Amino acid sequence: MSTAIRILCWLNCCAAAALWLLPTANAQAPAGSPSVSFVNDVMPMLTRHGCNAGVCHAKAGNGQNGFQLSLLGFEPAEDYEHLVKEARGRRLFPAVPENSLLLRKATAAVPHGGGRRIAEDSEAARILTEWIRQGARWDGDSAPALLRLTVTPAKGTVPRGQSQQLQVAAEYADGTVRDITQRALYESNDRAMAEVSSSGLVSVTDLPGKVSIMVRYQGLVSVFNASVPLGANVDAVPPAQNFIDELVFSNLRELGVPPSPLADDSVFLRRITLDVAGRLPTAAETTEFLSSAAPDRRTAVIERLLASPDHADFFAGKWTALLKNRRDDASDITSNFAFHAWVRDSLLANKPYDQFVREILAATGTVISNPPVAWYKRVKEPKQQQEDVAQLFLGVRMQCAQCHHHPFERWSQNDYYGLTAFFSQVGRKPTATRGEDMIFHKRGAAAAVNIRSGIAVPPAALGTAIPTIAADQDPRLLLADWMAAPDNPFFARALVNRYWKHFFRRGLIEPEDDIRDSNPPTNPELLAALEKHFIESRFDLRELVRVIVSSSAWQLSSTPLADNLVDQQNYSRYYPRRLQAEVMLDAIDDLAGTRTDFPNLPPGTRAIALPDNSYNTSSPFLRVFGRPENESVCECERGQSSSLSQSLHLMNAGDIRGKLAFGSGRAEQLAKSDLAVEQKIEELYLVAFSRKPTPAELQTAVEYVISPQTDAAGAPIEPARAVREAFQDLVWALMNTREFMFNH
Amino acid sequence: MLTIHGQAARYCDGVARRGFLKIGGFAMGSAAPATLASLMRAEAGTPSGNARHGKSIINIFLGGGPPHQDMWEIKTEAPREIRGEFSPIDTAVPGIQIGECFPQLAAIMDRLVVVRSVVGCDGAHDGFQCLTGWNRRNVESIGGRPAVGSVLAKLYGQRDPGIPASVALAEKTSHVPWSEPGPAGFLGAAYQPFRPNGKGMEDLTLNGISLDRLEDRRTLLTSLDHLKRAADSRGMMNGMDAFTEAAFGVLTSSKLADALDISKEPAEVRERYGDGKPWKYQYDGAPTCNEQILMARRLVEAGVRSVTLSYGRWDSHGQNFDLVRDHGRKLDQAVSALVLDLEQRGMLQDVTVLVWGEFGRTPRINDGAGRDHWPQVSCALMAGGGMRTGQAIGATNRLGEYAVSRPVHVQEIIGTAYHNLGIDVMNTTISDPTGRPQFLVDIREPMKELV
Repeated sequence: MSTAIRILCWLNCCAAAALWLLPTANAQAPAGSPSVSFVNDVMPMLTRHGCNAGVCHAKAGNGQNGFQLSLLGFEPAEDYEHLVKEARGRRLFPAVPENSLLLRKATAAVPHGGGRRIAEDSEAARILTEWIRQGARWDGDSAPALLRLTVTPAKGTVPRGQSQQLQVAAEYADGTVRDITQRALYESNDRAMAEVSSSGLVSVTDLPGKVSIMVRYQGLVSVFNASVPLGANVDAVPPAQNFIDELVFSNLRELGVPPSPLADDSVFLRRITLDVAGRLPTAAETTEFLSSAAPDRRTAVIERLLASPDHADFFAGKWTALLKNRRDDASDITSNFAFHAWVRDSLLANKPYDQFVREILAATGTVISNPPVAWYKRVKEPKQQQEDVAQLFLGVRMQCAQCHHHPFERWSQNDYYGLTAFFSQVGRKPTATRGEDMIFHKRGAAAAVNIRSGIAVPPAALGTAIPTIAADQDPRLLLADWMAAPDNPFFARALVNRYWKHFFRRGLIEPEDDIRDSNPPTNPELLAALEKHFIESRFDLRELVRVIVSSSAWQLSSTPLADNLVDQQNYSRYYPRRLQAEVMLDAIDDLAGTRTDFPNLPPGTRAIALPDNSYNTSSPFLRVFGRPENESVCECERGQSSSLSQSLHLMNAGDIRGKLAFGSGRAEQLAKSDLAVEQKIEELYLVAFSRKPTPAELQTAVEYVISPQTDAAGAPIEPARAVREAFQDLVWALMNTREFMFNH
Repeated sequence: MLTIHGQAARYCDGVARRGFLKIGGFAMGSAAPATLASLMRAEAGTPSGNARHGKSIINIFLGGGPPHQDMWEIKTEAPREIRGEFSPIDTAVPGIQIGECFPQLAAIMDRLVVVRSVVGCDGAHDGFQCLTGWNRRNVESIGGRPAVGSVLAKLYGQRDPGIPASVALAEKTSHVPWSEPGPAGFLGAAYQPFRPNGKGMEDLTLNGISLDRLEDRRTLLTSLDHLKRAADSRGMMNGMDAFTEAAFGVLTSSKLADALDISKEPAEVRERYGDGKPWKYQYDGAPTCNEQILMARRLVEAGVRSVTLSYGRWDSHGQNFDLVRDHGRKLDQAVSALVLDLEQRGMLQDVTVLVWGEFGRTPRINDGAGRDHWPQVSCALMAGGGMRTGQAIGATNRLGEYAVSRPVHVQEIIGTAYHNLGIDVMNTTISDPTGRPQFLVDIREPMKELV
């Protein structure tokens, strides 16, 4: 068997029946020797061996050491130019192909910054050599196009600690099917759960759950979805309240991961008030709820909180951060207040989500007459508008495709500029207010120029053709129509995933705004059902929240069972999360019986109702605890991690000390009050944790308060002061517990 | 300047509830430091392999732009109106001469590198570029570029639970960008450097309550904090516990406070560094605070990975030569003391020292005996970090106008520092908030003369 034939024949005995292996068609091939195709043989080798990785020869600028390849081989024609013609053709040596610089560099026969990429006797070396021997021909116009990749199996169950070999077939336009298992690139979406070898052998670890392997070849992507069961007994499952429970619990049954039991009433009330309204329940709310025996008491709380202004405040904060309501200049205040109020009012009125987005997207006029125009004040460039809209409302990250084909996605630069074109006719002219433009539709044909091709691309919505748009028609309206269509594959999915993450801490797709074929959801049926429910409710945000928080899945205890401790992605229990900066500041004020005042806002304004980021400057607390600066369309801008500064702040900062010792604060009032010590401590527990103290906690706290105190010199200190300080210490201790700082 | 214990009455203004320990019948819950350190690494999401290594950086920013031609490369062949008042002096390395204001550095030239041809300066009066390697505008919309210290905090976490990964000593200057602490940029607030002289100092010193009362609170907290950590298998709660414990560590063990307290240093050592006083030419810039350079050594010794500080105000539009005589002499003393001190303690291989400003100064001396801004070329002094020292790299033309040999980009210096810190600059990326992997610098080859 000749080298060339060996190159093209990876006969895989097991799969042979399904795969026809034919040499790539090329009319000019010398008789008897199957021709090596540049686009279908050579290019995949360059990609597989990392030659065209971003750090190597696809480095922006000139490529490493002056040899430029296109990123991941998306531009074969350019690569051919650089390989064959550039540098006076020094990279190839047709007379003695093995001595070509290309091969000598790749095999490190001469010094190569990237080291030894391929072995001299490897398949890759043979392909490159044979291609040069055959005349290093360009066949980009004649070679059959790759139509699809098929991974076998496409999904499956892999027991923990075991492995699964994948087979990958590539189907070409001329009907050829090739086994490219040894040529493709593999990547695990969670390397803690599964590793994959360069030849497609998937090895799963001990962690149960869902994991995906992305397979990439010549610009196409396919995925193997593995389910790794724990295999524990899943008998005790809480009652299903709605479709969410059916799908969450059936997934848990499939994985053999048991759910924790339902949370008790205290935990439920604290959790829902924090997650829906962004605040702690008051002591009165807690007392009332805990004393109620009504079977529908949880439903009643859900309805009350959904309709509350707190809910609108809390979610307005979330949305205005993502919509970049940022104070860069003192004069921004009017616009920022107007936009925040508009978002809040929209949420309070439960404006349908598609209408909410349409009003932002297609906003015209001035900020005062039409506040959503403020978004165009902040996001000025069409490309930026497009990127923000794609990521925020469609869950699609288009940034990569501005300069090159998206490496993990089907988006090309034309898709990027096609979507950008919807914003190309946004006109603006200055108004009497400094820094504020009037936004209007500029008559003309919408288009955006692809920077690589130089061609003006008309509006196109991520693969969906849009009918020709008349010059006097605002293209943004058509974009909004396309987004809100029931069959739009992105719009509803992005929103339900985003909201799901708010309540469950982990998106069904993670990160929540990176939806792509190569990043599949952990529970696709559930995501589809949520999407359907949301569309059928006519984009009713409140109904979406209602159906989520009404589910037993959301009401599960956060306390893990032995068999679901390792689960981090299947919602077998509630995953706790630290309170976000604003919520924590409000909670501390509630507990300490104090308030934080903010400049230019009425006294009593709570931190969750702050309209923009400017208050982070005046409040070190908000800054240290990671309140975002509203600079990014990504929720990840919000810092949720802990830090030494945070701990020091809670422990020792002036503003916390001031709150503890505040003259009419809770510690002071409790110290002065005539109530029994036990009742005072109960009040603290109701406020901080929405529950009464356990007998042991009560005993500890009471003893702390009543124990006699001495100063450093050993002399007894005045009882009134001792009690006051004891309550300060108690408030401080409760505030620093995990139970307080986390929604659990 | 620096008071560690905010109130004199630290031990006698409060109540002692130590007895509570017995009354309540609780044991103090103190976790083992090693465990905490590993938890904190887990929290920071860092690879544990390098987390404990002892490599650090001290980045001394000469705000205002030091005159390159009056520091490490005296232009003896330039005409009078350019050459200036200084003569070159021989150094410990034959063939390398530097300016006469730096005799002590000249004597240890074998431990130093001078770069005479730094290029790529933005031209802004801002410490940002010397701390990050980037322009302040770069990826500003997603938070901007992080400084070396924040990158170290992200990649390695803290070396010691009571010691932050990154400390910025610069006190706020009235021209604020000269006291840039080193931004966390798109990494987020959690990776900001700790600023003992800023707002953080207040948190660091136990103010308002006594140490005893803090211990009481800690005991109370331990006894009341019941929520199972296991509820959070992602380690967030454990991480928070670790930071809480570390905060107690900072407040009680006083490691950090001690490191910042140079009065704990022998008088002889303090004399070697000097105090940099009297502080002259300060206006809206930083003082020549030699004690901060000593403090930097104490901090890296205690486990801080990155210390930044701002030294002097070098914006010599007038009286350039008097200013260099003043600042130079003080800098000469402090930096030479630092390098020798690090060497004596066996730390010089592990600690990279950078001394540089935001740009150079005009060749032609102006009417006020000053030099104006000159971003075309700048200079840097480097030491330690395992580099091949005893070199002078690059040169400017006869008039000191531009680099004629081996132009060294600002990013190469930062990249070399990352290399010294044990980071594979060629391949290390950090995801920005949009999920895009970002390299630490764009020019990723460390300076081949040095590594």
